[in-house]
Amino acid sequence: MLEKVFFGGKTEQKVIENIKRHIKILCSASDCFKKAIEERNKDLMFCVPDLEREGDSIRREIVSNIYEGAFLPFLRSNICRFVEIVDEAFDVLEDAAYEFEYLGSKLDEEIEDDCIKIADINLKMCEMLLIAFETLFSKEDLREKNLAIRIYEKKVDEIKFDLIEKLREKEVKSFWEGKILSDFISYLTRVSDVIEDASDYLYIMNVSLR
Amino acid sequence: MKIEKVMTKKIEYIEADACVYDAIEKMVDRRIRSLVVKPRDEKDVYGVVTVRDIVFKVLGKNLDPGKIRVEEIASRPVVSIDRDMEIEHVISLMNKFNITRVFVHEGKEIIGVVSLLDVMADSLIERAKGGRVA
Repeated sequence: MLEKVFFGGKTEQKVIENIKRHIKILCSASDCFKKAIEERNKDLMFCVPDLEREGDSIRREIVSNIYEGAFLPFLRSNICRFVEIVDEAFDVLEDAAYEFEYLGSKLDEEIEDDCIKIADINLKMCEMLLIAFETLFSKEDLREKNLAIRIYEKKVDEIKFDLIEKLREKEVKSFWEGKILSDFISYLTRVSDVIEDASDYLYIMNVSLR
Repeated sequence: MKIEKVMTKKIEYIEADACVYDAIEKMVDRRIRSLVVKPRDEKDVYGVVTVRDIVFKVLGKNLDPGKIRVEEIASRPVVSIDRDMEIEHVISLMNKFNITRVFVHEGKEIIGVVSLLDVMADSLIERAKGGRVA
């Protein structure tokens, strides 16, 4: 009955389906990003801004639907905030993709391995976020999904510390080379932080619905 | 789930004749809790020295870590498992030998390590996935 009151209407269902689509597109963008690094192919990276634009248009549609009257007023701001955090993940991933285009094939093998590992975990985190969002409407425990995302984030943190140590030992030949590499690593490792924020927000939404 | 998907490839080595102080420095610098001790010769086997060994066998007995060699406190041979094995085997080995990490080998080479925390983390992730593929 409660589910019907909160999520049962036609417009509500449309918003929910669009949020799922939004997260699925984030998964596709993360997958595309990972493949581009694995194959050292910066041309493949163009799919990330394309998918980001698609994500943007879905976000606008979601927000419009919400302000047209979907969901009870106390839920609207929370749902909008969640969608904005997912959108931030798109932005950070896009920033990382742009930096990769400048980096080209200048990524050391040792650093490249760690970057691929992080890109892979980012993808797994997006997939888990989708599962977590779907859990919001089921009887399953969202806490477990939230914990899984936190575990993934800790893994990224561990790799990040190693990566920073490796970067400190690396000789920087020019200002721009150093800046681009540093920015690339910062954006790449920030994606997991943003997804963790989104997952935490989802958990708060879940608690507020009890 | 196969061990290969859970294991960490980050392994740090130390020479058998290095002093315990070197091992401490390496563990602190790399933020790790164990080091693989290299075999002295072809007939020798890999060993492992852990923070636990250092604390209980050296520091706890007020011995000088600069004067004790790693091989004196290391456990050998290491408990290791083939990369194709399932995670259940690791859990049973950890339980049987009361250890917190199992090494992964390919032929005679050690290629990774699985810790108790890795097993717990991956079990929780699998549980959260609930057998679904997003």
